[in-house]
Amino acid sequence: MYLRTGVADKELVVNTIPSDERRQKGPYVFIECYQEIPCDPCTKICPFGSILPMDDINDLPRTDYDTCTGCTICAAICPGLAIFIIDETYSETEGTVGIPYEFSPLPAKGDVVEAMNRAGEVICDATVLRVNPNKKRQSTPLVTLVVPKELIMEVRFFRLKKNAADALPEVDPYDEENLPDSTVICRCENVTLGEVRALIDEGYDNVDEIKRISRAGMGPCQGRTCRPLIMGEIRRKTGKEFDEIELGAFRPPTKPIQFEQLMGGEEDDN
Amino acid sequence: MLRIEEHPILTFDKSKTVTFTFDGKEIEGYEGDTIASALHAAGVKVMGHHYDSGRPRGFYCAIGNCGACLMVVNGEPNIRVCVEPLVEGLVVETQSNKGDLV
Repeated sequence: MYLRTGVADKELVVNTIPSDERRQKGPYVFIECYQEIPCDPCTKICPFGSILPMDDINDLPRTDYDTCTGCTICAAICPGLAIFIIDETYSETEGTVGIPYEFSPLPAKGDVVEAMNRAGEVICDATVLRVNPNKKRQSTPLVTLVVPKELIMEVRFFRLKKNAADALPEVDPYDEENLPDSTVICRCENVTLGEVRALIDEGYDNVDEIKRISRAGMGPCQGRTCRPLIMGEIRRKTGKEFDEIELGAFRPPTKPIQFEQLMGGEEDDN
Repeated sequence: MLRIEEHPILTFDKSKTVTFTFDGKEIEGYEGDTIASALHAAGVKVMGHHYDSGRPRGFYCAIGNCGACLMVVNGEPNIRVCVEPLVEGLVVETQSNKGDLV
């Protein structure tokens, strides 16, 4: 489920929750890192050695909750923004969650924001207790929210309250009306949506055929931009689903280099 | 001005200016800029033209993959200016064909 939706479910989360005794002792780090990827800055940065060394760089991080002080250093360095600082001793009914937040503007202390769960659904209002912008170290700001205790293992993100005046009109970028024929689909070879539409109408319904006729996808980027757009148009016009449409041949993007770079080995041979 | 003034994480050092020319016009950027970022900040949005149709091409992927920003730099054609560091005194020109070597 997690691999399909990207939303960690309870079974994954409970695996790494510390003991009830530790949870009552004060702030601790909670790492929501559930997929093996080659990444280990958290194990190197912890001044207390609380994020245990990995045998393999692909290992999931493991926390020694007995030595962790909840100091927040690891939360600011995690490139995946997967590290949270939780304190369940804030008050009788409330706890705090420290959330890495890389958006502008940052909220201010005392602001009320909309707290969200792992799936991005707003679940409650929360008050901002602290903001550590950490300006000097150029690292991720950590925003600490006060949330009801029963939601402490749910709140993992937040958004500022929407100001009705700032709201942008909602536009569906894939709505056909928003895509006139003059839209450039392949920037490298200057192929427009109108040309692609005409080819699909003629019966060409896969990326490679359209590429050979129109040159869409033959420029320097080799289809990085236009392939998904052409597939989207084939889907719209023919009703085929994406997995029924042939992807066509993938080739690496081309990069202009000097002859000098190709001939550089000659000197070594002499 | 199209520069990011406020960023949630990064700060930008603008202490050293770098001067270069674009189609004969003198333009200033900062040390650490790429040619494309300095041009874009100076309001230059057309970096070249499609070799066949002549349609304008601008700053697009910004990581050296799309090939939309090929320009002539110090007389050398087909330079991806989005990944080329800005150096004092560079001569940058727009390119409208596939690039001439001589």
